[in-house]
Amino acid sequence: MMSGENGKKLRVVVLGGGTAGWMTAAGVARLLPDLATVDLIESQDIGIVGVGEATLPHIRGFVEKLGIDEAAFMKATHATYKLGIDFRDFGRIGESYIHPFGSFGEEVGGIGFHHYWLELQRQGLAAELGEYSLAVAACRANRFTPPAQDSSLASTYGYAYQFDATLFGPFMREFATGIGVTRHEGLVVDVEREPASGDVTALLLKDGRRIEGDLFVDCSGFRSLLLGQTLEEEWEDWTHWLPCDRAAAMPCTHKTSDIRPYTIATAMPAGWRWQIPLQHRMGNGYVFSSAHLDEDAACEALRQAADGDPLADPRILRFRPGRRKNSWSHNVLGVGLASGFLEPLESTSIYLAQMAITYLIELFPQDGVIDPRDRDEFNRLVDMEYDRVRDFLILHYNATTRDDSDFWNHVRTMQVPDTLADKLELWRRAARIEKYSDGLFYDASWIAVYIGQGLLPQAHDSRVSLPDPMRVSGAMDNLRKQIASQVSAMPGHMDYLKSEAARLAEVA
Amino acid sequence: MSDSRERLRRICIAGSGQVAVIAALALKRTVPDVDVVVLGLPGDPAAYADRAATALPYSNKLHDRLGLTEQAIIQRAGGSHRLLMRYFGWGAEGQAGAMPYGAQLDAQWRTRFANEWGGGPRNASGKRPAGSLAEVLADAGRFAVPPGDMPTPLDDLDYALRWNMPAYRALMADVAQQLGVTYLAGEIAALEPDGQGGIAAIAVAQQGQIQGKIEAGLFVDCSGPAAHLLSALPGARRIDWSSFLPALRMLHAKPQQGMLALEDRVSLLPEGWLVEFAGADGLQVTLGLAESISEEAALRALGAEPSEMVTLAAGCARDAWAGNVVALGDAAASFEPLGHLNLDLAHRQLGLLLEMLPGRTIEPLERAEFNRRATLMAQQVRDTLATHYSAPRARKVFGEKPLPESLLHVLDQFTRRGRLPFRDEAALLNQEYIALLGALGFPAGVTPQALSQNPREAQAARATFEAQAQAALQFAPPYQQFMAQMMQPQQQPGGGIAGDLQY
Repeated sequence: MMSGENGKKLRVVVLGGGTAGWMTAAGVARLLPDLATVDLIESQDIGIVGVGEATLPHIRGFVEKLGIDEAAFMKATHATYKLGIDFRDFGRIGESYIHPFGSFGEEVGGIGFHHYWLELQRQGLAAELGEYSLAVAACRANRFTPPAQDSSLASTYGYAYQFDATLFGPFMREFATGIGVTRHEGLVVDVEREPASGDVTALLLKDGRRIEGDLFVDCSGFRSLLLGQTLEEEWEDWTHWLPCDRAAAMPCTHKTSDIRPYTIATAMPAGWRWQIPLQHRMGNGYVFSSAHLDEDAACEALRQAADGDPLADPRILRFRPGRRKNSWSHNVLGVGLASGFLEPLESTSIYLAQMAITYLIELFPQDGVIDPRDRDEFNRLVDMEYDRVRDFLILHYNATTRDDSDFWNHVRTMQVPDTLADKLELWRRAARIEKYSDGLFYDASWIAVYIGQGLLPQAHDSRVSLPDPMRVSGAMDNLRKQIASQVSAMPGHMDYLKSEAARLAEVA
Repeated sequence: MSDSRERLRRICIAGSGQVAVIAALALKRTVPDVDVVVLGLPGDPAAYADRAATALPYSNKLHDRLGLTEQAIIQRAGGSHRLLMRYFGWGAEGQAGAMPYGAQLDAQWRTRFANEWGGGPRNASGKRPAGSLAEVLADAGRFAVPPGDMPTPLDDLDYALRWNMPAYRALMADVAQQLGVTYLAGEIAALEPDGQGGIAAIAVAQQGQIQGKIEAGLFVDCSGPAAHLLSALPGARRIDWSSFLPALRMLHAKPQQGMLALEDRVSLLPEGWLVEFAGADGLQVTLGLAESISEEAALRALGAEPSEMVTLAAGCARDAWAGNVVALGDAAASFEPLGHLNLDLAHRQLGLLLEMLPGRTIEPLERAEFNRRATLMAQQVRDTLATHYSAPRARKVFGEKPLPESLLHVLDQFTRRGRLPFRDEAALLNQEYIALLGALGFPAGVTPQALSQNPREAQAARATFEAQAQAALQFAPPYQQFMAQMMQPQQQPGGGIAGDLQY
């Protein structure tokens, strides 16, 4: 029986002081102050992976819900704004496209914009798809301004942040400890469990301290000390679909004074390379498959290709794509890498941690008791989120004509999950996207990658050839003009960052 | 290189009710060069999507798309507005509640980005609003349609339209005819298979004499519960819902004096449920009988002169699209007229067909995707109806019935945890469904966050709402006065990027 009954607070113990750990601690302490006490155990002897320097727009909701001021948060983490990801050399070497936080055009007569675009493209009248997206146009022009809060063209995009992940954890730590989270520095050497139920009751630290709890959140990264090592929850391995299992990361200086409001992902012979611009430096890294490239060679390739002068030697991160079959078992749930990992190709790591925290808050044990129905619901939701993101990531590798390395030959020809195979076939045959109202990545994202990587369908909607092509082309040109005019009115990304910093200084 | 698919040459729609007519109109509008032929089969009294004199807010958007103006519906088809449904006696005797339409959203949820990246009203959180503007206005009998070109205190409101069914059907039939849709009254003498699991042609008879045949690339079955086309295909199967939906007999009263009201009512009586539909040109009362109720008892409970008793078999097609036949309305799913879902489902499935309209060749995977979504839509309607019968007092009136697994899951999460799991293709918005659950007497579980909420936040939300309510009451004229204005001729606005591409 747990001690949350009779109005007593549930003792939540978070293991691990990385991004996921401090986000969890902050989320529970801020949103459920009357229901929970939060203890967090971290050790300086264990480094943090510091996943995700780049994020998705959903993080804004999290930051806002916690009551954190955006400008202060951006200052502390040296953050820049992010409008999308520029994918280079994925479909074919020399080609690129931006997957924006936004959409392309708008549907007309109930028919998706991309059908009209495909028709104009067939007739040689279409500009590049990205020119019909305000977010893409702003990226190309290095400009930024927050979107409008209405339903106009200026509301068709969202934004996220590119920040220093090694500063995000400490920022969240300061915030969390400021709202009552107790931090324990120490190394966990043993896990106490109740013999009958198998529930975890306490964590023993090296110096003899014993941290008791009712609910344990495993944020110990890939070690997964509780969910993996102690409870032996099975791991579903996805390496055969997502063979990248290493990353070499190396911070560099900025080469130019301009800062891009987007991330660059460049395909490499054994994976891909990121360039994430922060205020003070450029994040560089090479995500690769160790079956196709050894670590030294990857570091060398990164040094050769990196944008800017290195500020440190490359650091190797090792990971395994996949997820636990159960992310919540007994009274332990995993958030972040302890629960699952999907490589950072679409900046989903922080989103996936945030998603698990949101569901934990919604399904937080009532009266101190974990109801198996809530645990099942949590696991169902987490699985659905991971599986949908997984398929979208696999698409980036599979939709290619690249045959220049063993790696690309493997991913181009591998058998993809059935769920993805059906999506691909529906697109190829009829230019249609399966529609869902939950999970991450909807029509616009799939269309961006399909078309961006040269996976054009064989046929599109029969109705788009009905109107006079010159009229359609005229309307689409109008849209491009409106986009161009709105973008030219936006401040430069760097200027906007500076003006925000000035505003913040004035407020302070 | 992607090619535009070859367009269908002819679409044949089987049915004579409003579902057939709106399908014909919509298909002709979306593909003007297709030959649309309606085969006007005799109607079925149990075809509730065809009988319905109302739908839900979704239909307003469909009307816009088809060029059916609200003004025309009001001026020529006895139209009126409904802001909410009121429920009486479902939780317990004497208990009452309301289900207003629409969702109250923060500005950031209304943006196009939010809609396209997973937000929008359908997914807006289950956070309960401090109050309902719709209810305040319905209580005061005041209303106006927000003009749309400037912000008003009524912008958060959503509403459904009512109409006079024959007049509404005639209005659409006029437009369809102007667009070149042909109508042929007749009966099916025989169906000619196309060798690919579909139909090549229908042999048509009039008064027993074969008159000819209609060949088409796509057949839309709007023939009511009998699904004359779909049911004739090999492998066609209907899924029975009667174990979940116990009201199989409906007793209708003769229409009474018309009225202008912003609400309809659904009361739970010991004999079953009683829907009072406030049509501008006739109050319509329908009683859905519990199994054991005798006809005499039902007549007494109806409290008005009866017109007819209809028996129905609730269920849906396993696949609404088979071969080249797509079923809409009761041919796809037939069920009782509770909650005005019948025509709403037909309209949403028609919307799905318009979105996924095939070319001359039908791709099996697009048919599968249509069926996946159409089946979810139908199941969500079934669950919404079953929600009514699982209300505390309804279980006494209709007896304890098994619940679909999907509904058990939703009710469990709502009553214990105060949250709604995702429901793809749900019949109602999250906020609407939460209001319905409350109106039916389901206690909402307290969310963990609410337990930690500062009471001052709730007070502040309440105060904001009170101010909004006052502004709305001041802005909205008495409903009668607004309707009088609506009867005046007026210009309809148009334009925008989409306007450039209208054809």
